[in-house]
Amino acid sequence: MIELRDLGVAIDGRMLLRDVNARVEPGEFVAVLGPNGVGKTTLLRAIAGVRPHAAGSIIVGGEAVDRLRPAQRARRMAFVTSDDALTDALTVVDVVGIARFAHHRWWEWSSTPQDEAAIEGALRAVRMEAYRERLFSTLSSGERQRVWIAMGLAQETPVLMLDEPTSHLDVRVAHKILALLREVARRGHTVLCVLHDLNEAAAYADRLMLLGCDRLLAFDRPNAVLAGDAIEEAYGIEMERVRLPDGRLRVFARDAIL
Amino acid sequence: MLLRLAGLAALALLAACGGLLVGGSPLATADVMQALLHPAHASAVTTIVWQLRMPRICIAIVVGSSLAVAGALLQGMLRNPLADPYLTGVSAGAAAAISIAILAGVAPPLTPGIGFVAGLGTAILVAALARRGGGVDPNRLILAGISLSALFSAVVALVLTRAQSVDYVQQFIAWLAGSLAGRGWHALAVALPYATLGMLLALFAIPALNALRVGDVRARAVGLDVGRSQWLILIASSLLAASSVALAGIVGFIGLIVPHLARRVVGSDARVLLPACAFCGAALCLAADAIGRTIVAPSELPIGVLLAFIGVPTFLYLYLRAEART
Repeated sequence: MIELRDLGVAIDGRMLLRDVNARVEPGEFVAVLGPNGVGKTTLLRAIAGVRPHAAGSIIVGGEAVDRLRPAQRARRMAFVTSDDALTDALTVVDVVGIARFAHHRWWEWSSTPQDEAAIEGALRAVRMEAYRERLFSTLSSGERQRVWIAMGLAQETPVLMLDEPTSHLDVRVAHKILALLREVARRGHTVLCVLHDLNEAAAYADRLMLLGCDRLLAFDRPNAVLAGDAIEEAYGIEMERVRLPDGRLRVFARDAIL
Repeated sequence: MLLRLAGLAALALLAACGGLLVGGSPLATADVMQALLHPAHASAVTTIVWQLRMPRICIAIVVGSSLAVAGALLQGMLRNPLADPYLTGVSAGAAAAISIAILAGVAPPLTPGIGFVAGLGTAILVAALARRGGGVDPNRLILAGISLSALFSAVVALVLTRAQSVDYVQQFIAWLAGSLAGRGWHALAVALPYATLGMLLALFAIPALNALRVGDVRARAVGLDVGRSQWLILIASSLLAASSVALAGIVGFIGLIVPHLARRVVGSDARVLLPACAFCGAALCLAADAIGRTIVAPSELPIGVLLAFIGVPTFLYLYLRAEART
């Protein structure tokens, strides 16, 4: 379980988000949405503990994130990002194996049967088991994304956070990845995921966390968020809403419709 | 992988054996074996083996392995293949201090110690300038290292232009070119504890180096204390580089190139990469020293010059050929 209390995040002293209060339950898939530069990635990194937050507190599993030692934190939360290139010639299994860092003491250099099982399970979950010995540099964008997600899964944490896992991917691969995350949440993990496509988020997430105007504008079920004015307030454009036969809403920028 | 590592170790051992046999006065294998087995036996061969060649071999092993491991540590930490052990200003700081010490007439046996202290001091200054948050900023580290190196190089140039004695200039240039000539057990005894400490700290850094292969952010996410690891790596690499500078002056090429060669042989897993660098660096340094002592005997070629002349074209050939294949 993740709890954000009066949370503020900043970059270089400039406050991006203030007074964010939210609670994400185990087994929930929450999509974090908002315009570019609003602080989605910064918020996720602060929750993951890979950068400090400016105000308030982040509680994960009952303890404040900034009080946890790095290894303790990494056994509770995995953070998946795709914006960093590799310089070494690493194979898929090398990359995924690094996720097991927090499960070892510094003198335990060899992988254990538990490590092997976690790595194999993660590769199987993203359907990359056939690629385990392939060089990471030879993979396509979609395959790389799946490897990063496998790395997050191999960490075996109750919380999985992902920063734009579907960016640069075609609709088929994006669908597979989101369906996989949906499945991960169904197995009891908390999934917090930054997405850009509102309809993609609404189709897969249990709740949408909409950020804008330096605060949390809405945090509710997809239909409730898409139906409200917060969408227009966040993005600064008028939206057209379309209701699907099953009652779910979808939104489109009004200019794009006309 | 272990087989490849054993191959590199065998290469270093072979180079060490070669170093015992060749030099100004070539020795027969049987005589060398006799001297090795009976060190107390008084003979010219025993003196050559135990007082001249053996300390040089040990120093070459320490210098070669220290520089190669320091290079691998910094390249891993900065994720920059151009990083070398002298990036933190160790060589420039030591050069400036030693140039002044020689000019001031400080006794030659004291200069390695002065070089060590000044080199380490410069590395600490560079690290302090690069400090950010709980760790160091890689870009700041590179900028601070380059800036201070330029400043200390200017000090060296100033001292050289002020020097009146040709002897002084020759003595200093020999140090700059990197040489093991005249180094004995005493020099090794002074530098070895620091080099050993650097190697031990490098062992502690192995898990961190492996985690850093996926970048700082991901390394943090998998539970690495990146700031603490950066300090550990910086201290280890500075101790190794400063020990090497104190022992042999500025020996280029090894710290930059050997990690690349070793990575091609054993991959980037630090558990095998660091030992591979140590064996490969030692082998190269031993071979260069043996050749430098032989080809213009009874005179000697500085090891740094020889490494650059032979090593750089060889490395470029191997590297470009491998690139073309892939």
